[in-house]
Amino acid sequence: MIYIYFSFIFFALGVLTTFYRKVSYIMATIGSAFPFLAAVAGMHTSFTSNVFVLFNGFNLSVGVDHTSAIFLLIASISWFTISLYSIDYGMNYSKKMPVFFNAALFGMFLVLIARDALTFISGWEIATVFSYLLIMEHKHSFKEAFEFLAFGEISTVSLLVAFASLYLENHSLAIVGSHGNWIFLLMATIAFMAKMGIYPLHTWLIGAHSRAPSNVSAFLSAPLTLMGVYGLVRVLSIAGQPEWWGVLAMIFGGFSAFWGALQAAAAKGLKILPAYSTVENNGMILATLGLSVVAYSANLAVLSSFAMITTLILLFAHNTTKSLLFMAVGQAKEALGEDTIDNVRGVWTAVGKIPAISILISGLSFSAFPPLIGFLGEWMTLEALFQSYKFPSILDRLSAVFAGILIALAMGLAAFSMVKLTGYTALGYDHGKKARTIPSFTMRLSEIILSLIVVLTGFFSPYMLKYFGYGTFLSGLFGVPKPFLIVSSHPVFGVVSPTFLTIVIGTLFLFPLAFYLQKLRKVKRVSAWNGGIALKEKEYFTAPAYSFTLEYIMRKVYSMKEIKVGNKRYVSVKDVTTLFYSGLKRATEIVAKFLSLTLMNGHIYSYVLYTMIMFILLFFLIK
Amino acid sequence: MKWWPMIGISKVLTENKKYATKTDVKRMKIFKRSLHIYTIDVGNSNILNFEMRALQTPKYNVHRFGMYFAASPRHADLLIVLGKPTKKMIAPLLEMVNQIPEPFGVMLLKGCESSGIDPDELKIPNVVTSVNGCLDPSEILAILLKISGRID
Amino acid sequence: MKKLLGAYRQNGEEHLILQENGKVFVQEGNASEFENSVLLESRNEYVKDVLSKEEISGNDIFDFRYGPVTSGIGEAGIFHLYTYGERILSVKIDTSYKRRGLDERMINSDINDALKLSEEICGNFAISHSTAFSRAVENALKIKVTRDVELLRSIALELERIYNHLYVISRLAQAASQQVLASHLMGLFEDSLVTNKIFSDSRYLMNFNAIGDVLKIPSRKELKDVSDRVKKIENIFSKLYENSMSSGNYIDRLHLTATLDAKEAELIGLTGPSLRACGVKEDLRAYDEMYPEIEITSDEEGDSLSRMEVRAGEIFESLKFVRKTIDDLNLADETTSPNSIGSGEGIGWCESPSGTIVYHVEIENSKIKDVYVSTPSVFGMSAIAHSIVGNIFTDFPFVVESFGVNFSDAAR
Repeated sequence: MIYIYFSFIFFALGVLTTFYRKVSYIMATIGSAFPFLAAVAGMHTSFTSNVFVLFNGFNLSVGVDHTSAIFLLIASISWFTISLYSIDYGMNYSKKMPVFFNAALFGMFLVLIARDALTFISGWEIATVFSYLLIMEHKHSFKEAFEFLAFGEISTVSLLVAFASLYLENHSLAIVGSHGNWIFLLMATIAFMAKMGIYPLHTWLIGAHSRAPSNVSAFLSAPLTLMGVYGLVRVLSIAGQPEWWGVLAMIFGGFSAFWGALQAAAAKGLKILPAYSTVENNGMILATLGLSVVAYSANLAVLSSFAMITTLILLFAHNTTKSLLFMAVGQAKEALGEDTIDNVRGVWTAVGKIPAISILISGLSFSAFPPLIGFLGEWMTLEALFQSYKFPSILDRLSAVFAGILIALAMGLAAFSMVKLTGYTALGYDHGKKARTIPSFTMRLSEIILSLIVVLTGFFSPYMLKYFGYGTFLSGLFGVPKPFLIVSSHPVFGVVSPTFLTIVIGTLFLFPLAFYLQKLRKVKRVSAWNGGIALKEKEYFTAPAYSFTLEYIMRKVYSMKEIKVGNKRYVSVKDVTTLFYSGLKRATEIVAKFLSLTLMNGHIYSYVLYTMIMFILLFFLIK
Repeated sequence: MKWWPMIGISKVLTENKKYATKTDVKRMKIFKRSLHIYTIDVGNSNILNFEMRALQTPKYNVHRFGMYFAASPRHADLLIVLGKPTKKMIAPLLEMVNQIPEPFGVMLLKGCESSGIDPDELKIPNVVTSVNGCLDPSEILAILLKISGRID
Repeated sequence: MKKLLGAYRQNGEEHLILQENGKVFVQEGNASEFENSVLLESRNEYVKDVLSKEEISGNDIFDFRYGPVTSGIGEAGIFHLYTYGERILSVKIDTSYKRRGLDERMINSDINDALKLSEEICGNFAISHSTAFSRAVENALKIKVTRDVELLRSIALELERIYNHLYVISRLAQAASQQVLASHLMGLFEDSLVTNKIFSDSRYLMNFNAIGDVLKIPSRKELKDVSDRVKKIENIFSKLYENSMSSGNYIDRLHLTATLDAKEAELIGLTGPSLRACGVKEDLRAYDEMYPEIEITSDEEGDSLSRMEVRAGEIFESLKFVRKTIDDLNLADETTSPNSIGSGEGIGWCESPSGTIVYHVEIENSKIKDVYVSTPSVFGMSAIAHSIVGNIFTDFPFVVESFGVNFSDAAR
């Protein structure tokens, strides 16, 4: 419990020392180390604070149980590394930013440790509002920040409705125990899906992630969407695990994964691509969660529990890898001052080796390269979906197959888009552009920490499974000693051992490496063969050209248009969901204009006065 | 049991006797069984280009001698320079020589044209032979066989 | 419709070399009235699409440089393909890498040396170039050429046409991965080169032509041999061609690739089989009395397939011509040695395998004072640049090969 209080104190100190940006971010870093300790403490023995009674029936209390401990553990890794990264990165932004940063961390922390709906909503709203202010830190990002806030508030309002219905039924706002009805579940799901950026509620995520400062992007993409998953897991435990929810989650999740991967493949912006990758990963997470629920309702306890650990591993993989990717890409973006994939070529030579390797490692992890953690997550996802033949209902099976197809496509497309990102940025030829030298010690430090986590958690994944309490899926077989083999079911359905894959791949890699190192001096080094003369700047194969074939083949889905304006030619690719929202926006504008001209044509002050009088009247009447 | 392998071996044994040349070459015996060739046109009148195509026709069947035409200088063992370079082609030619992995050889086929710069003056490294005049594919093949050490 | 093939200045006046309805003539006029006059000025450096004036730009547009050394083109030249990926939006062809300045070197040289240089312009059009050149000189010096010489030249021209067309079709087959067909055609190509050697002592028919004469008169036995070989090529090629035309996925690659209509082709100044593939029945041989029975092959669609079909049709036509002419040939025992001394001015032209080659020469005391060479590849390349727009990278070899152009011919 003491860790929680320490954490609060350091976040508060961080807010107070905002004029010394470095100190403030150091406070945030220390402050986010304590949730990790709290999670470790709460992993096996849960604890709760004293109940603080607001008024009758409305209590505030915080605490950690097994579920929140796992999420807290995952989130605190991102919080810690992002705060560490911000110590140097934050110097590029204003002095207000540390306040928002600390406050947003506090809000998220509150969400994860809330024991009742009021604390939960407070944390939720704090996190949303301060994230909005954080996005606003970047110049010219008002539109995107506002879109984020609009969706954030949709989420909060649905959450309020959900908890109101919960209160009506149970006269209790505790979010532990088991009660709740379908309205609660539906509204809460919409709230959390909006936060996770599930199709079709993902449009805010793209603009916000790509416009925000990079530490904020990492922050929004990894821990903030994790809040949505946490919320879903929490409400499912309250509301039981109905089959219809699982089916819907699989369908929405599968489609979201596919859509995210598809749009990522065509993305041109440096941070738009990872943003769509977030949509894809959260889609996969939702689908596996849905599978877990369906399995639970069909009394397939083993499958349900396997799907649940899959969700957690995916979540862990996404959280660490995406934080890493945004950090490394953000460093490159800040150093080069460019924001398209094409213009940030040659990070290796222009910016540094550590960001380049970080981009490479995260790209490999997202493309499911064994034995990185992303590989384990995707293997488990497919393995869980393969077992959908065990479902008794044909509808469940069909929806699982549907989700499986879309997710498999998404995985392939994800590899395609990650090749595009890493190939052009981390490994590509540089422009000969000189990067700005920025103090980057803590940036590189946190990138190294996360890279090590991504690599090593793959290797030690059996221990992670055991630590999360899913030791039943560990076994020993085919000469692999226990507990280094991960099995997907009992009796055994499929097996994988990331540990031994690492050993085998590492050993196979050693011989060529030794050979290469031995011959290193004799190797003749020349520039790439380009038809006999050196490439000019305009002759490089561009990143949009890399994905044009795909865009052309899927031109109906992308609403791809080859546009010709005068001498200018370009290819336009749209996320068609945004068309729906822009239509909605226009309709609202028209209706609002009509109403303001017909119904509400008085002076603004009279409306304010009217509202105040009504508020006071109501206050007395209700009391 | 078909006797094709025997026929093939006998052809290799007999047919390389058909080709003979008096051109002086530096032998590169390590390529005896596999010689990958890349050709570069540096400004010939197209005759040598056509002759290299003709050499790839089934009539000569150079694959039986382990000779292949590579699609990139990075894969090549022997560079055949066709013609005498124009001024603008000197830089690409030297870059190309720079790109070939070692060990490699360069064969200069100067052709029968009067225009261009004499490639001998470019000081290209590892020149194994330098031949004047427009050659038939069979003569070119004989030189290649001599380079790879299959005939004397 | 008049097509501008070249322009030269004489006594301060601009003279245009024009072609209309299969006839080449010179006229005073202003070249800038023709759409393709840009080509005449820039052809030593680059060739581009003359029908499109706009310079394409955009952030994502990049220049996919193909050359100067690639195994795909095989000649020293660059195709600058402007694209945003896959679709080709605009093309600029750099000919300067192969510019050897042969026409400049002809000036002030002896006529016979200049004849050698004309063969050197493009080895695979050697006889066409030398015939056009010697006709120009013959016109200038009023040299009468005997019928025998003209017939032998025609046979040589047709032999050149045969091997060039076989080469083009085999390259198309290779581009479509029709390896069996391509290998067979390459075999025929080699056979026809051997036939050339029997006929003229040179595989590329070089050193065959002289001013007003031919340097070698093939013996009766050699002619018989040529006739037999031509017959064999005809047999094999007709079977191969028939089979290839029933291969759906081969035809499909060529069909509707790089379509050109007759109007555009004539504005560009295209001649030869590529023009005939657009539905224009225009052939310089039609007015040549050496070809009494020539049938002009043409096709309607103007795509790569049509160009291939026209070339195949011309192979049959040429094979037939060679056989018939050799059978009817009755060579006189003696030839007159022409006197090539004097001064004068004249033009000479010839239907090369890819279109019209025109030479205009001015001679002063047996030395070339001025020469203008018009080569078909310049216009062919411009046609490539025009017709390839909108096609994708994978169609590139079909477009380029189907026009049968050579950098050495265009750059001189």
